Amino acid sequence: MDDTTRSDLLKLFRGKLDRAMRFYLETCTRCGVCTEACHVYASMGQTRYISAHRHELVRRLYKKYFKTRGKIWPSMGEARALDDVSMQELYDAAYSCTGCRRCMVYCPFGIDTQMIMSIAKLLLVGAGMEPDILTLLADTSIEKGKSFDMFKDNFLQGIQRLEAEVVKKWQSEAGASVIPVDVKGADLLYVALAGAHSIIPAAAVFNAAGENWTLSFFEAVNFGAFVGDPTRTQLILDRIINEAKRLEVKEVCICECGTAFRVMKNLSGNQPFKVTSITEVHARYLREGRIKVNRSKLTEPVTYHDPCQLARNGGVMDEARYVLSHLTADLREMTDSPINNWCCGGGGGLVALGEETLDFRMKSSRVKADQARATGAKILTTACENCHTQLSNLNDHYKLDMDVRFLSSMVADALMPGA
Amino acid sequence: MFSYIVLVPMVYVAIAVFLVGMVTRLVGIYRAPKHSATLQIYPKRKPALLLALYDTFLFPTVRRHKPLLWVFLILFHASLLLLILGHLELFKDISLFQIIPHSDVFIGGGWTGLLVILCILFFFFRRFHGPVREMSVPEDYFLLILLLLTALFGSQMNWARIWYGYGELDIEQYRQYLLSLLVFKPDVPYELMGTGHSFMMVLHVFFGNLFLMVFPFSQLMHAVFSLPMNKLRRG
Repeated sequence: MDDTTRSDLLKLFRGKLDRAMRFYLETCTRCGVCTEACHVYASMGQTRYISAHRHELVRRLYKKYFKTRGKIWPSMGEARALDDVSMQELYDAAYSCTGCRRCMVYCPFGIDTQMIMSIAKLLLVGAGMEPDILTLLADTSIEKGKSFDMFKDNFLQGIQRLEAEVVKKWQSEAGASVIPVDVKGADLLYVALAGAHSIIPAAAVFNAAGENWTLSFFEAVNFGAFVGDPTRTQLILDRIINEAKRLEVKEVCICECGTAFRVMKNLSGNQPFKVTSITEVHARYLREGRIKVNRSKLTEPVTYHDPCQLARNGGVMDEARYVLSHLTADLREMTDSPINNWCCGGGGGLVALGEETLDFRMKSSRVKADQARATGAKILTTACENCHTQLSNLNDHYKLDMDVRFLSSMVADALMPGA
Repeated sequence: MFSYIVLVPMVYVAIAVFLVGMVTRLVGIYRAPKHSATLQIYPKRKPALLLALYDTFLFPTVRRHKPLLWVFLILFHASLLLLILGHLELFKDISLFQIIPHSDVFIGGGWTGLLVILCILFFFFRRFHGPVREMSVPEDYFLLILLLLTALFGSQMNWARIWYGYGELDIEQYRQYLLSLLVFKPDVPYELMGTGHSFMMVLHVFFGNLFLMVFPFSQLMHAVFSLPMNKLRRG
């Protein structure tokens, strides 16, 4: 690595050193309480997957370049130079971490490993070493925001096809517009994912509840956040914020995507609209009696996987249980509380990397498969796209013999007319 | 000569380094911008500050996941607090520090120091096996050694007096010496430098000085940062 690259990377590093980050980098005593917190370590048993070990890699660079003691006596804290080897170590640490923040629950100080890994991810972006596909996907999202008119016709045609499916399956009471798009003055802007499964059931429930809603032109997923690039994250986010402001909606509802929800909720700043997850909205409809669902439709035991970004990191836990209490009489909770729930093993961009990470994802999530199997449930439901994909993979790999389903589709399937 | 340097100028230097170090470190950190989003873990419970204090002082996560370590951590930190109080009590002039009534020996009668030493040994040797071994860096060991030496020589002075009946040095001389430092009229009684056990005293102060000087620049700062960090987690 040449000096210019290094100094550019260190500039990026310095930019990440806000107050919280400094606390996190200064404080670890390497006590080892976090040892069993990481599902990767729990499944694979290699020390490099212990969270303290992951962030120590970043901390060693911090000591070397930002601390006097790292300059005077580097070996004391094992300060390390930023070079190609340490960059590779950062890659391994950052892209084996799903950012689930389970270790933060264990740490006596509450060190946020995901946040420290964001330094590693940013350095990798700076060095052009990040997984290309994530940046590519992020850039595509950004481009779509910039030149939307080009995409608009295709998008609208696609929506028309989906509308037919909604009408076929659910007798729509919403009149002409089954999937409304670009409705100024709508109450709720629904931000979905690219994919019918994220739009059709949601539309059915909104229409059944008589919601004055509109579908966003943009997909919720934020690849900028996965790749750890703050600029891209913000650009992707801004598309939705601008749309919400333009349409003057009161509420932005994020589909079943944990990262999209957390990013939108935490990073959108002070806005005239509130941010909710679709799980919260469904719970509200049930509570207010705006939709009615058939509780006897599911006969098999159900278990629910709390998506980390939605539950531990986003605060949506009870709502999912409330919704499930209307869908089944046989909910079998996984052992341990939602705050300590094992990550599915697919977060942090790992699922988005697809086949490339499949082997690792399966090996690193054995504890999740065991946890799900132990419930004895036949239906494994969750409220996050990433988790759903990963859990489906786990289901195949570990032969769990479960039916992996989206919570929102279960609500849509159980809808009863005439609420 | 060495004794005098350690007992007088070095103490002042150590305290100055400690204070200036603390202030610069804290100013440096608090001048950095706040994180733009919340970092809390859910479900959020109230009152967050009280719960953060609970996390900071009673380490509930350690109790849950590493119960044995927790026992030692609690004993260690509680004993440290007693030792700090014990040292403050030596300023007999200041009634504020005399909050725990006890007989005229160092608080805990030697047991506090023994407990601290056993805890340090536990922390030290647990770093030699398991995954913690691979995660530890030299400064983790060095800090424990420094702390051990400080506690060992400090306690030894106390043990000698109360358990082996060593009488040449007594608590009055420590009081006289510390007060003289506090009022900037340094005066080291003959007994502190010239009697048989005085080298213990000098070494205790020497390592104590080093400890103070290292404190602001090491992960010992967890003592200060723990509360704001736990507050971040509690929201």
